[in-house]
Amino acid sequence: MRFLFRTSHTIDLALFQHSGQVFWYGLLVIALLTAPLVLDPFYLGELAQVFIYAIAGVGLMLLVGYTGMVSLGHAAFLAIGAYAHARFMTWGMPFLPSLLLAALFTGFVSMLVGLPVLRMTGVYLAIATLALAEIVEQVLTHWTSMTGGFRGMRVPDAEMLGVALDAPRPFFYVCFAVLVASVFAALNLLRSPTGRAFVAVRDSETSAVSMGISLVRTKTLAFTLSGMFTGLAGALFAHRIGHLAPDAFTLLTSIQLLLMVVVGGLGSMHGVMFGAIFIGLLPQGIALARDVLPQGVANLPGIEPAVFGAILIAFLILEPDGIYGRWLKIRRYFEEFPLYRKDTFKRQQRFLSTERLR
Amino acid sequence: MSLLKASVLSLSFGGVQAIKDVSFEVSEGEIFSIIGPNGAGKTSIFNVISRFYDLDAGRIEFDGRDITKAKDHKIAALGIARTFQNCELFEHESVLKNLMIASDVHRQSSVLRDMLFLPSVRRQELEARERIEEVIDLLDLQAYRYEAIASLPFGVRKMVEIARGLCLRPNLILLDEPSSGLNPEETEDLVFWIEDINRELGVTVLMVEHDMRLVGEVSHRVMAMNEGEVLTTGSFQEVRSHSTVLEAYLGGGHG
Amino acid sequence: MDGAQFLQVLIIGLSQGCVYGLIALGFVLIYKATEVVNFAQGDLMMIGMFIAFTFLNVLGMPYWLGLMCTCASMALIGALLERALIRPMIGEPTFAVLMLTVGLGFILRSFAGSVWGADPKSIHNPFSGEVLRLGEVFLGFENIAVMVGTALVCIALGLYFRYARIGVSMQAASQNQLAAVLVGISVNRVTLLAWALSAGIAGFAGVMLAPVSLIDPQVGFIGIKAFAAAIIGGLGSLPGALIAGIAIGVIEQFAQITLPTSLATASPYLVMLIILIVRPGGLFASVQRKRV
Repeated sequence: MRFLFRTSHTIDLALFQHSGQVFWYGLLVIALLTAPLVLDPFYLGELAQVFIYAIAGVGLMLLVGYTGMVSLGHAAFLAIGAYAHARFMTWGMPFLPSLLLAALFTGFVSMLVGLPVLRMTGVYLAIATLALAEIVEQVLTHWTSMTGGFRGMRVPDAEMLGVALDAPRPFFYVCFAVLVASVFAALNLLRSPTGRAFVAVRDSETSAVSMGISLVRTKTLAFTLSGMFTGLAGALFAHRIGHLAPDAFTLLTSIQLLLMVVVGGLGSMHGVMFGAIFIGLLPQGIALARDVLPQGVANLPGIEPAVFGAILIAFLILEPDGIYGRWLKIRRYFEEFPLYRKDTFKRQQRFLSTERLR
Repeated sequence: MSLLKASVLSLSFGGVQAIKDVSFEVSEGEIFSIIGPNGAGKTSIFNVISRFYDLDAGRIEFDGRDITKAKDHKIAALGIARTFQNCELFEHESVLKNLMIASDVHRQSSVLRDMLFLPSVRRQELEARERIEEVIDLLDLQAYRYEAIASLPFGVRKMVEIARGLCLRPNLILLDEPSSGLNPEETEDLVFWIEDINRELGVTVLMVEHDMRLVGEVSHRVMAMNEGEVLTTGSFQEVRSHSTVLEAYLGGGHG
Repeated sequence: MDGAQFLQVLIIGLSQGCVYGLIALGFVLIYKATEVVNFAQGDLMMIGMFIAFTFLNVLGMPYWLGLMCTCASMALIGALLERALIRPMIGEPTFAVLMLTVGLGFILRSFAGSVWGADPKSIHNPFSGEVLRLGEVFLGFENIAVMVGTALVCIALGLYFRYARIGVSMQAASQNQLAAVLVGISVNRVTLLAWALSAGIAGFAGVMLAPVSLIDPQVGFIGIKAFAAAIIGGLGSLPGALIAGIAIGVIEQFAQITLPTSLATASPYLVMLIILIVRPGGLFASVQRKRV
């Protein structure tokens, strides 16, 4: 087991707590950077998809995991980012400015819709965001001149410095770079006053107010940033699918995104990564499983959503801390072997008491 | 001179009068306690000062400034900190982070600067940390810096909450039943902490408390309340022997 | 729009709204008893429709027997779900339980798809096809049946909560679980009952809806509109949910003939958003600020 000796306050500020972390994360980055040299383009595409999920996950995690607000409508922001980016590029804007502008635009839209919606809490907020997403879907379907309506719109080819970005390798690198930048930005936020205000609001609104935190400002900011990151992911997603249509951004997409942060583990950036890998690779996993399973089961229609649902339920009942939480426990087990107590992480059950009058 | 001045406060909830024409003044550097049976309106006064409730009538001045209509999240920056009866800490975070959140009140943060973690942000983080360490040293919380609140015993949480209040660098701290849930030894220690806070940091203390020994040992002045009204204000000895106070506590039919 | 047409649309809206209202009742029942939102309520209704289809069309039961068997089996399913999935979650954050029911919805839809197939089915009731003619207004018997059925369920529920001890227990348990336990109310039993009841109501709603709508695994998505209704009603109020459900049904019908498609489809959500913006806790809100 590693003991951390803190000899200066700067240690608590560092992104990496000790040299071991620097080593392992460095190794991971190198592995990913060299992946295009060895991997098949198909798998590169799948990995790029995982990166895109992770970027959206960063946005959703800021909202759900750190500010404690649940959104059932994040597919809307993914869609707004994707359509805005495609629209800007169709108008002739180069790739990079268009990408950033799409993210900012999505952030702006989420701020606008956030202002009225954020007076609500809990379930009410969740369902209000769901309603917003339904409305956005209608706009996408019927504002034909902007979005191409049902038939959708083609996403223009991207190019930067003479390199066609839509090819698997360059696209992989672009997604990876955006993901690293997003995670870096999010981690910075979380170790500074902005991020602390988020967790304060999550843990106790009453207390946050008496610590001088404005609920409206903090919630709106969290919502805006969340929309921005998700919009950024949406813009990249547009290139990944090549052709935008409203049916790529449904309630199911929103739920999938939420599933990602829950299964990964709420309240940690590691959780986002695990969750993204999980939902990004699950369809492949199910496809592989079909080959092994008996004919009758394997050919059932719509088995994929059922597997999704079953895994979600299993995690919520058995491991509410998500994949990352499980990983921490396993690591602890080996570190403390053979002294690990079975109840180290035993959850305390809480009885429910509400503020309702009736 | 008076730091906090409340004049004829009134507050009611759907016909129930929680506070009725309450006036009092807290001088700078004083330890002022409010006592009274349950439901006397003590915590309501705190909630009015914190601006959680809007007054029906009356006026509150702090440091010569009218705060009757101030925004609830502006109160902390003006220099008023508070604690809560049942501890309202940020449960899932470490003690250190709880204290940092409080100290952020005096910081101008901008999202862009935070996102890039510019050198200025880093410098401010370290400065804030230095000041927090002073509070940690004062209240003996060194051992708990990195512990999550949820894993701490209740007595420690109460201290962390007071520490968090102090990290706001307030002129006035409102302590809502600081001894509730503490064992006799911890309550004993509390006497010293409150006196330390008052003398060493020069923070004025306004306290709601049930434990009469604690009230008697630390308070400069005491105000007794019952059913939303002030019974009397004065030194602990005076208040304790006041006839209406005895009646309110020993049952004049009100309980 | 002339008077007759107006009445026609109103009746269709009312009967559609009754179905929303019934599903919303299920939401509110579970919410009141356990502070949990069951996102799979619409999918439970969908399962109810398929079960009714099995009883009536496959096994050839008479209508009334089939109706009762459907409600009974749905109540059983609700109870089983509660035992298997919800009970382990007692004491967990409500958000976690919400997500769990979302997952449950996925599974129920896949289950229905694999058992009964994805082709739409339909069932008939004794009133199918018959029409009551009042002047120029044609009233489908199916629509009338929905309204009468809803009214009966509401009366039964109202009486039950007023006179049965368990109704009072449910109220108590929802407000403070620990206190309820201390005064000897079995919170587990209350939760179980809430799930059984609301699944039973969902089954009933399914049977009512079946003659006017096709049965397929996706039909449960109308549960979202019912959810909107429950929210408008304030989530804590049974009559509120019913009234809001009916209102949504009517508004939706009128929007469909007067507004462009995009607005009409989004109308229930728009209405809900506007109401929530004006009153963040719903029309019959019962939440107050946390006490400190």
